Amino acid sequence: MKRLTGIAASSGIGIGPAWVIASEELAIREFPIAPERADDEVAFFDRALESARKDLRSIRSGIAAELGEDEAAIYEAHLMILDDPELRKAVEDGIRVRNRNAGIVFRDFMTSIAARLERVEDEYLRERRADLLDVERRVLRYLVGGGQRGLALPDQPSVLVAHDVGPSEVALLDRQRVLGLVTEVGGRTSHSAIVARGRGIPAVVGVKNVTQQLRNGDVIVVDGFRGEVVTSPDEDALGHSRSRRDRLDQATLELAALRDLPAVTRDGHKIELGVNIELPGEVEQVLECGADSVGLYRTEFFYLDRAELPSEEEQFRAYRTVVERIRPRPVIFRTMDLGGDKVASYLGATHETNPFLGYRGIRLALHHPEMFRAQIRAIYRASAYGKARIMFPMISTFEELESAMGLCREVANELARTGVPFDRELPVGMMIETPSAVWVADWMAREAQFLSIGTNDLIQYTLAIDRDNPELGDLYQPLHPSVLRSIRHTVEGARASGRWTGVCGEMAGDPRQAVLLVGLGIDELSVPCIDLPRVKAAIRSVTREQAGAIACAALALPSATAIENHLREHLDPLLPAAVLASGSAG
Amino acid sequence: MVEADLVVLNESGLHVRTCGKFVHVAGRFKSEIFVRHGDFEVNGKSILGLIGLAAESGSVLHLRVSGPDEQEAVNALKELIDSRFGGMD
Repeated sequence: MKRLTGIAASSGIGIGPAWVIASEELAIREFPIAPERADDEVAFFDRALESARKDLRSIRSGIAAELGEDEAAIYEAHLMILDDPELRKAVEDGIRVRNRNAGIVFRDFMTSIAARLERVEDEYLRERRADLLDVERRVLRYLVGGGQRGLALPDQPSVLVAHDVGPSEVALLDRQRVLGLVTEVGGRTSHSAIVARGRGIPAVVGVKNVTQQLRNGDVIVVDGFRGEVVTSPDEDALGHSRSRRDRLDQATLELAALRDLPAVTRDGHKIELGVNIELPGEVEQVLECGADSVGLYRTEFFYLDRAELPSEEEQFRAYRTVVERIRPRPVIFRTMDLGGDKVASYLGATHETNPFLGYRGIRLALHHPEMFRAQIRAIYRASAYGKARIMFPMISTFEELESAMGLCREVANELARTGVPFDRELPVGMMIETPSAVWVADWMAREAQFLSIGTNDLIQYTLAIDRDNPELGDLYQPLHPSVLRSIRHTVEGARASGRWTGVCGEMAGDPRQAVLLVGLGIDELSVPCIDLPRVKAAIRSVTREQAGAIACAALALPSATAIENHLREHLDPLLPAAVLASGSAG
Repeated sequence: MVEADLVVLNESGLHVRTCGKFVHVAGRFKSEIFVRHGDFEVNGKSILGLIGLAAESGSVLHLRVSGPDEQEAVNALKELIDSRFGGMD
């Protein structure tokens, strides 16, 4: 038995025999082509190119629809490779002049180009070999194999284990015969992971060397909640996984029934329950899971993993797509939260001994006014097409809020002057993530139209605990009384000016803590899609009065341990089994 | 024939997508376009040729263009490279 960890890419638990897809063998034999057969061989190559073109076009349009035109641009370049005049000429010459078969000439040509990239120091350029290899294999499949790679599964339902699986391949899998998916590469936002979630296939990605540790038929457990894979589990582990799966399946069914019902307490108090997203393509999940809004749209995606700034136009197009799709539900755009662990190379790498206390969030944005203005303009312009809200991250002083609000007013005036449409009522708010912002929340709420508490950072800054340091895990306590009191203080500050307060950190996604937040007077929660059903079920199981009484008592307790015991005693009995049974923690 | 030296300004150099843009622009002209970088000279309308140049940021590309619209072609390609491929990356 072996436990391997990866990234939880699609929730659910799959248990069954492994079906390992070996790294693709595209062995090409070399053989001579007689001059009288040359025409046929050239035609054979042209057909292979045309088939590969068809595949690429359909992948291109699929990605464009799911993730937007910019993400699809790479496939445009792949298509241009297939149309390359030198490639076509080299292959035809090889066949006619040197009497070699198409496959071998084609592979040699592609290899010679890739070999030139080996010489460069530049990591980014060298990585482009992967693009060449991808195109090469796509054509070779038609020259030596049976066309598109078919991921044929055995009749017995199995867990598919592969180095990598393309999004189009996940889309074509027979859902009845695939119990789960495990890959060696990829991330939560890789295209394949998104498709797996859409099709409800439990998936764990990024499990290193997993294909070498399994043979066909070995039993494997894929835990898409925890991001864990267990190979050849012993009786105990297998029994445990099976009962966990059955419990979760049952819970999932019960929770799915709540999808179209509101997040309302038993006595009719409505909470706005939104979800957090990062990619424009994730909007479909928002609609699927029955959310009221997008409570946190992280926009860093536009700034990371690229060499230059995103343009206002590019951002406008993406933001517009999101607000249009989510309409009439609102979308809260959090402006660029760079710095800390999210570094964009073109901003100049500055070494900081303490990056989380350094140049990040609004501090960095206000130092790059042109970049910041372009983003705010893009959001304002998108607001004409749906319901947008803006909030600023990492505010620690009132002056920062004033500067950022001033920039928004300037942008609004500019757009009004030039006749560009936008929502003149667009609400502008801020995040509460620093203790300093907590203590002046009343002042902040006079300027900001809403407050949204980012609990991850607030806990880290309040408790002086690095949340990424595994040694300190026990000290990272969401239930620490100082955290709860900070939240309560923020709510009171907001209410003094008639503003609402939301929470968009991990606390909101924990059903028990979510009830506690409602009790503390929070009006809006934004959670990962995967957590939404349980949070909704928890809110629907209590009255506002019960939640308030539980929170009020918690505020008077001395420690996280005491508060945890208090919740266990007074809150858990009110919650349905489905809420307590499941989830990433259970 | 018109010749020109162009400096690759964008940070990530001539990679797959930027080469695609180059070929896209080059393909609009009738003239023959050759691009040299170091020891290699390639057809400016061949994306694979350009990718194989492995031109990093800061590289100098030597352009050799001949044909009826040679000057326009050089101007258009110079504009593309100077604009860092239209801010692509």
